[in-house]
Amino acid sequence: MDKKYWRSLNELHSTPGFEEILHREFPVAASEYPEGVSRRRWMQLMGASVALAGVSGCRWEDEKISPSVSRPEGRIPGVPQKYATFMELGGLAESLLVTCYDGRPIKVEGNPDSPQNQGSSTVFAQSETLSLYDPDRAVGVVERKEGTRYARDWQAFLDYADTVLGQARQDGGAKLRVLADVSSSATRRNLQEKFAALYPQARWYDYTANSRDNIYAGSKLAFGEVVRPHFDLSKANIVVCLDEDLLSEHSAGMLHTREWAARRDPAAGEMNRMYAVESRFTTTGLAADHRLPSRSVDIGFYLARLEAQVQARLAGKTPEPAGDEYADKVLAAMAEDLVANQGAALIAIGANQPAELQARVHKLNEQLGNVGKTIRYSKEPLATDLAAAEALRKLTDEIQAGSVETLVILGGNPAYNAPGDIDLVSALSKVPHSIHLGEYEDETSLLCKWHLPKTHPFEQWGDARSYDGTLCVAQPLIEPLHDGKSEVELLAILCGDKHPVALDLVKEAVKGSLDSMTVNASWRRLVHDGVLKGSALEAVSPKVKSLPAAKLTEAAGEELELVFYISPQVYDGRFANSGWLQETPDNLTKITWDNAAIIAPATAKKLGVEFGSVVKLILDGKSIELPVYVLPGQAPNSISVALGYGRTAAGLVGGDVARDVKPVGENIAALQSKAAMNFAAGLKLEKTGKEYELAITQDHHSIDAVGAGEIHGRVGQLVREANLSEYKSHPDFAKHVTHHPPLESLWEELSYEGQAWGMSIDLTKCIGCNACSVACQAENNVPVVGREQVLKSREMHWLRVDRYFTGDDVDNPGVSIQPMLCQQCELAPCEQVCPVAATVHTDEGLNDMVYNRCVGTRYCANNCPYKVRRFNYFNFNKVYEDPNRKLQALVLNPEVTVRHRGVMEKCTYCVQRIKAVQIDAKNDQRPIKDGEIVTACQQACSAKAIEFGDLKNEKSLVAQAHASPRSYAVLSELNIKPRTAYLARILNPHPSLAKPDSEGHGHGEAHAEADHPKTAEKH
Amino acid sequence: MDRFLFPKWANSIISVLGALGGVGALYVLGMVAFGASPETTDVGYQPEQPLPFSHALHAGKLKLDCRYCHNTVEVAGHAAIPPTATCLNCHSGADANGVVNTVSVHSTSTKLAPIRESQATGKSMQWRRVHDLPDYVYFNHSAHVRRGVSCVACHGRVDKMETVTQVKPLSMGWCLECHRHPEPNLRPPEFVTKLDWVADGDPHEVGEKVRKELNLNPSTNCSTCHR
Repeated sequence: MDKKYWRSLNELHSTPGFEEILHREFPVAASEYPEGVSRRRWMQLMGASVALAGVSGCRWEDEKISPSVSRPEGRIPGVPQKYATFMELGGLAESLLVTCYDGRPIKVEGNPDSPQNQGSSTVFAQSETLSLYDPDRAVGVVERKEGTRYARDWQAFLDYADTVLGQARQDGGAKLRVLADVSSSATRRNLQEKFAALYPQARWYDYTANSRDNIYAGSKLAFGEVVRPHFDLSKANIVVCLDEDLLSEHSAGMLHTREWAARRDPAAGEMNRMYAVESRFTTTGLAADHRLPSRSVDIGFYLARLEAQVQARLAGKTPEPAGDEYADKVLAAMAEDLVANQGAALIAIGANQPAELQARVHKLNEQLGNVGKTIRYSKEPLATDLAAAEALRKLTDEIQAGSVETLVILGGNPAYNAPGDIDLVSALSKVPHSIHLGEYEDETSLLCKWHLPKTHPFEQWGDARSYDGTLCVAQPLIEPLHDGKSEVELLAILCGDKHPVALDLVKEAVKGSLDSMTVNASWRRLVHDGVLKGSALEAVSPKVKSLPAAKLTEAAGEELELVFYISPQVYDGRFANSGWLQETPDNLTKITWDNAAIIAPATAKKLGVEFGSVVKLILDGKSIELPVYVLPGQAPNSISVALGYGRTAAGLVGGDVARDVKPVGENIAALQSKAAMNFAAGLKLEKTGKEYELAITQDHHSIDAVGAGEIHGRVGQLVREANLSEYKSHPDFAKHVTHHPPLESLWEELSYEGQAWGMSIDLTKCIGCNACSVACQAENNVPVVGREQVLKSREMHWLRVDRYFTGDDVDNPGVSIQPMLCQQCELAPCEQVCPVAATVHTDEGLNDMVYNRCVGTRYCANNCPYKVRRFNYFNFNKVYEDPNRKLQALVLNPEVTVRHRGVMEKCTYCVQRIKAVQIDAKNDQRPIKDGEIVTACQQACSAKAIEFGDLKNEKSLVAQAHASPRSYAVLSELNIKPRTAYLARILNPHPSLAKPDSEGHGHGEAHAEADHPKTAEKH
Repeated sequence: MDRFLFPKWANSIISVLGALGGVGALYVLGMVAFGASPETTDVGYQPEQPLPFSHALHAGKLKLDCRYCHNTVEVAGHAAIPPTATCLNCHSGADANGVVNTVSVHSTSTKLAPIRESQATGKSMQWRRVHDLPDYVYFNHSAHVRRGVSCVACHGRVDKMETVTQVKPLSMGWCLECHRHPEPNLRPPEFVTKLDWVADGDPHEVGEKVRKELNLNPSTNCSTCHR
């Protein structure tokens, strides 16, 4: 437990900036109104994120009630209904259950029937309702002629298509090309075949910025055929991730997280152990028991060393003693674990690593007997002949050679995310007939002759397959808002069907998967469930061919490398116009509204750059300027930058140059090249002398009571963690981290009747993926405030994920994370200082926030030890009062009040959900079942780290969690009796790498050196 | 020259002015409080509806149950205003061939024209809301009628109203009164829509009995109504 905790380098070294933040009661004066450019962005934002606003000041507001003419059977006005659908990213579906309120989708949840996510969801899925009502979406068919934009309709396009395609049909489509976003839709495949039959000479290219080409190529190299690996983490005692974010960025991340987390309960059986070797810090890295920072170019080097050690052990040789270097020790431990757990371990390698390494990992897995146990293979339905970048280059060459007359771009935004060495932008303007189907008039649309509005995933019929192959079907939840057509509808049009019926097309395509005797009934069932049970891909058992012997490469010098990665917030840039996602702090860096050059502390020192200094990254003569973020734990000499930023035609949130809105961040795709889509060595870095302030949330809401000097000790009390061995000898170590004399309340203690709501959060399982935070934002109408306001610490997230670095080594620290939300204290300090009783307690233990009473003194936020109260410095919801923004207002959850300027707000344990279930149960005169009430954060969590329920029901999962020896209350010494308990984090390090257990019963260092009586008051 | 000095009696003006000011302030405050109270502003609100539907006729004379039209009241927060189709059950007009259903009532009445128009055009009727709570209040009908709170408790004798009028203030204080002492407004749930129901015996005792049977503990927590 003698760990040192810190949140940022600023804090570790106590820079004046941090001290200032710490000593300020409130971030900055509340009266500061955004000015200048920032003011403009802020006003725009108001326009873009979340009507209604509840301004019913005057009684005689003439409110109309418009009942249906004929109410559909089963429809009850005001009662939310849920429909199954899915969203597809990179050709892989995430099955969803979308809540509709009187016909409008307001909240996304994972589909509990889906074997992949079992009810959990990603941040991307959560934000889909916001994008559905985004006012920046393309609203109709547009034609561009000689630089002028004309609004057209679908009929005009159909006439145009007739002419163009009529010509194409003459020559078999020799000059017709399609560039499409990757998809696993069977409907699309059917139409693709029809298209190929109609235009035999035409070519079809698939492109995605998040390609898995290396995986395809690697398996082809290893097995002679392209297969898809499936990991079973429930059976894996040892998980090794090589530059792979298996838990969150992997397409089956939610499944992996669930299975991984199920093996992280020290009371429920043997814990797994995870190793991560990676360049940038990922969620998998922070969840890992051991993390070895390594440049992406060096992964091959470490893999070769690992192979050598494993093989030596397999051959029965006594391993050589590990060297003194940390890397040596980790590799030795890894090899030992892998060999000791043959058939119960797995090695995964990231899609960014080259095919040869992929193949060698397949081989290693096979040698260790993991295949068929923790890893199984299936056919890869998404495999293409051409790698994505190769396809794009070929198309560009064809255009340049004048052999493309008509180009249809289905979805995607290739003009924006094409790598720098493929000049698609200038090529596109040379295509005589170019058609782009997209949800937004984006960078690609601007270069095409026609833009066609695409339907949102919630407006269309469709089918796709999830990573395990499970068939998912989407039904429209709402009529297309902007006259859009789906990808399959456009394809059908191209195939000559003027008025395609997507429902029939989809039904026809999936019919083959349904029971032929009861097609109609099974189809209805499938639409209802959203997924077809038992439709996962069949396992195949390929054998690894002999591979060329691994070259034991040397680590490649001190050269700088640049790593490109798909942003965990805005993906490949397609979510750039989502305020929710832009404002979600990155898991590790806590950056909002920007991308940055993430550099290791040692490298920053070597290069002489500092946090926030703007540097020029130069690669192959191309350059880009970015601010520096110094991240402890980033691999030395590796600089990583997120893709998906720097959108110039995203919209009023993500950047729109035409409307004078600065892009958010910089587009790093310009430095990508066909040969180096994932990382490239040979990076040069130049200082520019400029400075840039990144909007980072990490030092905000300083929880500490006594200033920076106390922080290190204090954080250890907030996030309590221990090694497994320590847990085994003292299971209740977490309860002994703080000591205090018997606590006595100054206030009259309340008694609680009826239910007692409580929550528990298991820190061993939490991986800090942010899904809970965005789910909370969507459920509770939490506003978006914008970059300038985040800089002033005015972000509004009710649930934030705190991140603390641990250990003394800034180059390879551990990371502890802690979701922090209102703890619903039984003796709430906020209530004691509110002069107007705007925050009061219910007899069920909820700390109610009464917005109408609040006068905005902010005493409560000041007195809140957890800093979880959020103040509306402005009327962040003003946008909804604008009559032109009625559409956008539909995203608001009608069950939650929209807060006005000058009002404090905070987590309510989703009281609207509690009440809905309570009323239902009481209507039927039955008790509430455990698990019936699910809070938004709990629902989204794929690790199932959050439990919620009645603490008085001893059998409830939450009561059991509270009774766990690992459970502790944060800041319990203040005698505020929080209703949220945290379960201490247990790490399972390899014995050779574990620090010795601390003495006594788990006391912290501060406690051990000063003896009990003397410091009794302090603790 | 002598300086002008206020005579001594001038001092009393200050207290007189003060007293007048005080009374004035109280008067203004009282007038504002009275003028803005829901009892003054809301009670008696009687907007004109797009067609003169008479609850007195339908619910009173014809004794239609409230739930014939407001059929979601027991399962949902809203007691839904019936769709046009419900009206047409009795008041359908001539069909496309000019044939009128034999059981149709007032099939050619001009007063019912908006209903027939709504059916023909597919456009909703635009009823005007009478009982309107602020948007930050989450009232749930099912939670009340299933627990023995009659329609009459909040809406009055709708079965005697030609045009629906708000008769109760629907203010927070008024809500809380009942949440604290619900007994006078409780009756066996099967009688909630029987607006002329009279307790058999002491209403308070009957209410007490219902309260015990259904285990009713109306909450006065803020989040019961404000979320």
